[in-house]
Parts: sequence; structure tokens; C-alpha cells
Amino acid sequence: MLSLALTALLFALPPDSQGTTAAPTLSQGDECMMETAAGDRFPTCFDPGNALLLGTGLQVRGGVALPTLQAGILLRTERTSRSKGLLWFNTHRILVTEATPGNAQRGLTTTAYEGTFRRHLEDGFILIPTSRPIRIPFPFDITLAVRAGHLERRVWEGPGLTVETGRAALLLDPVRSASGRLWLGFGPAASHSLRRMPDGTLEQELSPFTSAVLETGYETVDGWWTVRASGLAGWISSFEGDRRFRARADGSIERILFALNDQPLWLQLYGTYAYKDVGLARGTEWTAGARLLVRTFSSL
Amino acid sequence: MIIQAAALGWALLLSQVEGQEKAPQPETQQAGEDSGEGSKREQLKDVADKVKAAPEPDRSGNDLTGLLTPEEPRPALRYDQPILCTRLPPTKQVPSGEYRMQCDPVTRRCLIAPASELDSDGQETDRALLRTSYCDRSEASANVRVQEGYRFVPAIAESPPGWYRDEQGRVMQFNFDLHRRIYLGGAWAPLFRSGQGVEQNRVRVDFGIQTEFPGGDEDNRLHRLTFLQTEVYLGEPSLDVTLLRYDFNVERKVPLFRITTFFGKPRRFDVGLNLGAWVEALHQETIEREGSELSVLTWGAVHGTLDLWHSPDLVSYVRLRAGPSFERDRTHGQNTLVPTAAFEGNITLDTDGFHHLLFTVEVEKLFLDDPVVGRALHPERLRVRAGYELILLAINDQPVSVVVDGRGAWRSDIPNVAGKWEWSANAGLRASLWAPARRSAPLASAR
Repeated sequence: MLSLALTALLFALPPDSQGTTAAPTLSQGDECMMETAAGDRFPTCFDPGNALLLGTGLQVRGGVALPTLQAGILLRTERTSRSKGLLWFNTHRILVTEATPGNAQRGLTTTAYEGTFRRHLEDGFILIPTSRPIRIPFPFDITLAVRAGHLERRVWEGPGLTVETGRAALLLDPVRSASGRLWLGFGPAASHSLRRMPDGTLEQELSPFTSAVLETGYETVDGWWTVRASGLAGWISSFEGDRRFRARADGSIERILFALNDQPLWLQLYGTYAYKDVGLARGTEWTAGARLLVRTFSSL
Repeated sequence: MIIQAAALGWALLLSQVEGQEKAPQPETQQAGEDSGEGSKREQLKDVADKVKAAPEPDRSGNDLTGLLTPEEPRPALRYDQPILCTRLPPTKQVPSGEYRMQCDPVTRRCLIAPASELDSDGQETDRALLRTSYCDRSEASANVRVQEGYRFVPAIAESPPGWYRDEQGRVMQFNFDLHRRIYLGGAWAPLFRSGQGVEQNRVRVDFGIQTEFPGGDEDNRLHRLTFLQTEVYLGEPSLDVTLLRYDFNVERKVPLFRITTFFGKPRRFDVGLNLGAWVEALHQETIEREGSELSVLTWGAVHGTLDLWHSPDLVSYVRLRAGPSFERDRTHGQNTLVPTAAFEGNITLDTDGFHHLLFTVEVEKLFLDDPVVGRALHPERLRVRAGYELILLAINDQPVSVVVDGRGAWRSDIPNVAGKWEWSANAGLRASLWAPARRSAPLASAR
């Protein structure tokens, strides 16, 4: 639903912002700089995907209010393929970590690396190599989404932890935005995870493309507003042969509040619902919260 | 007309004075004025003869009487203006004829001061002037000035900022920087403890090395260093010594916080806070009260400072200071974390650095401490202090000051000693070495 809403929002945008010939960015331009009465210049545009992330907030999990801390490194690159002349929109999230300190439900979730690589072509097609090659329109960008080293530790559940060693998904993006600020991808995903139980036993689970992933988001050109959503649903099988269905969905919306010494601070409201997918007990849980996020070095 | 005539005469004389053995007899300026234009021309001729003859060794019978136009009070050469070292016809007081000269082309006046100190009778001695500035030794300079009709005014030689020179040419310091000094002092320090008698046989000996220096490329900063600040109390014994303390304060040219808002048109609001730092290393405190001794070694302390006010040169300040210290309780063999907050000030009240006001209110609380018999967990310390230091006199340009201060302390960190207030009043003297003139010291001539 959220993706549909985002798609609808996309089509409601002015033509320039979804044009296919030029990236609708204000980067490096004077539009992103203003002057004080004294003549000092200050930035007014930011890239939420390029920053050193620090955050704190309050989260409600299972009816319990918890303080949270968040940190990580965010990188976003845009490059042109030399061999194909294609645009690649890449995002990298390194060591993004969230901790819930305190005595109640103390825990830590961290991801060593998470990245998406979207291959953008203005006029996508599929070539059928018959004697006379046939070109069939293919109205999607292709995105490779990978995640490695996702660790979840919940102290109140006792000894043990959950590690998703790796996950890869191949996503189709019908929006085909010529900007890294808008994306919508869905497709199958494969993953492998480990679960070390309190009694010391080790369980392994595999999802051989029996899950589907949705990744979508939109950031305004000046970076003041950001909306993101993602989802995962599908079957996962243990090495012993058990199979179960699990699902997860999360969404967030952010608004920039102010910048301190040109380092912007956003307010983020977010929510997550997990069905049989959290903790050692593979529980069902919802969380909601608010964060204050500083993304340093993100000014354009 | 006179000047042109003098110049012409001077040019003629230049070719005739060679080989003259002796300059004409001295004439007073008053006499010259009375004798009319012709006599003035003659006088100028005589002066030229005198000046030209000055380099000759046989000049003992000449003087400058006819050249001089004394002023009261006697002016002084300016240290920050060019000065010439020149020879003028000798006088009885200055037989060498060596002078320092500073000429003003606007008023056509030359201030001249003997290049050596004078004795109490005004006679030149063989002691060269001290703390003078560079002078240009142009041989022809005096002749040229005479030719151009300059007046010569007896003056006092220049002295650097913060220094004063008397009419004998002796230089002395009148401005002292007590933030750059090595000091040693003593004070009577009676102690009043709540609920107990007064300990009157208590004295304090203090020592310290202080310096400060400005710095900072973008901002105006003042760095302060203190070495071996020591206070030893005899009577009710205690010791307080700090190996090194460093702090700086700053006057920021750019605002510390620039806040941009993004509701409506982006706007920026600048907030200037002059934040500095304060660091201390190896601070030993030993105190004995009611037969119980406590020895505490502070490994280090790192505090931030916020100037509530500071003087333009940053020397005086009123500020807040807060941060952690890491202590070793040597008596009980444990390490503790000591958050500290302080409100303190150090104000120099006058331009010449004679009056100083200091005050401190400091709160400390110990954490990470283990239980100690006779002491509660997380003990506290509160100290207040206000003091005044006044320079009384200077011996050989080294100031001696009187120091009075009142101190109060409340602490619960000494085992078996209940927390209570104790007060001491300190009064004593302090001798300071080094203590150069302040960076903002004025010229004596500008006072």
C-alpha cells in the first residue's frame, strides 16, 4: 500500500522531478546556499543518504517505553558504467547500529553492511537474440540489494543471539527514477541465518528465494522530507527441514528540524511490525518510536 | 627669511670651518633672541661651528645653551618613534656630547636626552641607558636639523611600554604582569572549624610558576600554564601541589553555534559561546584533620569552561567550569571519578596590574569509590575562596605584593571526620620574579 502511495506521489510530482534526462538535484547549486545579513553563506540542502548518522530517541516495544541510540555510516554514490553507459545509483549503510540501553529490554541490533545497487536505463529493454534481434520493452530498473552480518542480541531473552549472515535480493524498480532520491523495488530474496539458543545449540535457517522483499523511499530534493518503507515476507526453512512463514514491515517519515553548525537534525517517526521474526523465540512484535537523527557531513 | 639666511650661512661656513680648533663661546637662547636678526644669523653660524666641531676631541669648553629651549615638565622621547643617536656640542652636564634625539618635522622640535645616566647632581655618568630602543647613528643628522632651524628641547630618554625613566635616565618598571611570574610567599592562615577552637598557629607557604601567551589563528585565544603550584600549611598540616595546569579561553570571531531553521524560508541564528578548556595533571592533596589523614592524587582532570565575561585581552575572566577528574585515593588504595563544577573569576582591576581579585566556588563529588570505614559512599567536597592581591612595591623591578584571602571548605571525604565547614583567613606577602610588563602596558609618556 505504501509503495502504491509512493508511486502515486511520484506521478503527482512536477515533471522536472521525474524527468528521465537529468537528475533533479539542486546539488552544488546556489539554490542550496543562502546568505545571512552579514554575508555568511549556509547550506539549506542535505543528502540524508550521505552522512555519519547519530541518533537518539524513545521507542515503544510491546507496551514498554525504551530509550534508543543509533549510529552508522551512510554513503550514496552515483556513477556511470563505462562499459554500458548506464547510471548506477548505489547506497551503502555501514555498521548501522541501534541499541536500547537501560535495564528493561536491553538489546542491540547492528548490520555490518547493507547496500543497494540500482542499474538505471532510460529506455529499458530485453533483447531476444534471434536471427533478427527482437527488442522488447522492459520498464524496470534492476536493483541488487544485499545485507551481510545482521546481528540481533536481546539481553532479556537470556544468552544467545541471532545472526543473519547474508541476504541478497534482486529487485525490479518500475519507477526508474533518474535520481537516487526515489526508489521502489520488489523481488525475491535469499538469506541464511544462524540462531544460537540459550542452551548453546546452533540453528541454521535458509530462505532460497522463497521470500520477497520490498524497498521503497522518497526524499525531497532538498532533503527536508524523507519517507521510507520496506517489507519482507516469505518462507524460511531450517536445516532440519522445518519451514515457517515470517514477515516484517517497517516504515518511517522524517522531517528536518534545524541545522546546528550546518549539521542537520531530523525528527523521525517510525514503526515496525514483525510476524514470527524477532528474537530467539521468533516472536511477533510491533514497535513504534521517534528519533532525533543527526546526519553530519550531509550538506550539499 | 632667517632660515634661508641660515642655510646660506651654513653652506658658506661648511667650507670655512675646517681646521677650527675651538667653537665660539656659548650663548643663551634668550640672548640670541634679544640681539636681532643679525645676531641670530651669527648665532646660527656659531651653532653650526659647534655641531661641526663636535666630533673633534677637544670640545670640553662648549655647551648647548644657545640651542636649548627647555620645557616643563620635561618631555620624554617616544619608544615607538624613530630615534637618532647623535653627537652635539658638549655641555658641563654631558661632556661626552652623546645624545639620543627624536625630531618632529611638524613642530620642528628635536627632543634630546643624554645617552648615559646622570647622577643626582645631573652630571653624566659612564652607565649607558638601559632598555632603550634602536637608534640610527647618522653622523650628519644633528647638523641637518640645526641647518633646518629645529629647536632642541632637553628631554628624558624613551622607555619601553610598562617602564618609566626618571630625569636621571634610570629606568624602572611600573606595570607588572602577575600572570607571568615565579612567586614565593608566606601567609598567616588561622583556621576556624565549626564547633572547635581557632587554630592560630597556622601558616602557609606558597610557590608557583605561571605564564600565559596569546595564540590562535582564527580566534583570539589566551593560553595559561601553571607549574608546581604549591601550598604548604604548617600548624594544622596540609599540602596541595599541582604539577601542571593548562587552560585557555577564547574570543571567537565566528559564532560557536550557527542554527539554521527550515520552517518557512531558511534562516540562520548565530549563537556565540566562548568555550575553552581546563586541564590539570598530577595534583596531590594531603590533609590531616582530627588525627585522620587523607592523601589524594588526581591523575588528571579535563574540564570545559564557559566564559561568562572576559576582558578584551582575555586576561580577566568570570567563567563556569565543569568536567571529570580521575583521582587516586592513596590512603585507601582506590581510584575514583570526581565530577567537578566550578564558578570562578580572576580579574585584574587596573591597567598596571597592581590590583587582582580572585574567587572560586567549586563542588566535587566522588564516584566509583569503594566503601571506607568511617566514611559514607560518594563523599563530597565544597570549596569557596575569595582573595585580593595588591602590589605594594618593587625591589629591583620584582614586585612584592600583599595577599589576603578567605577560604571555606566543607568535605566529607576524610574518614572519621564529620563533614563540617572550616574557614581560614589568610594574610601574607608574596614576592614575584620575572613578572614582565603586561602586554597591554602603555608607554610611560602616554600615561
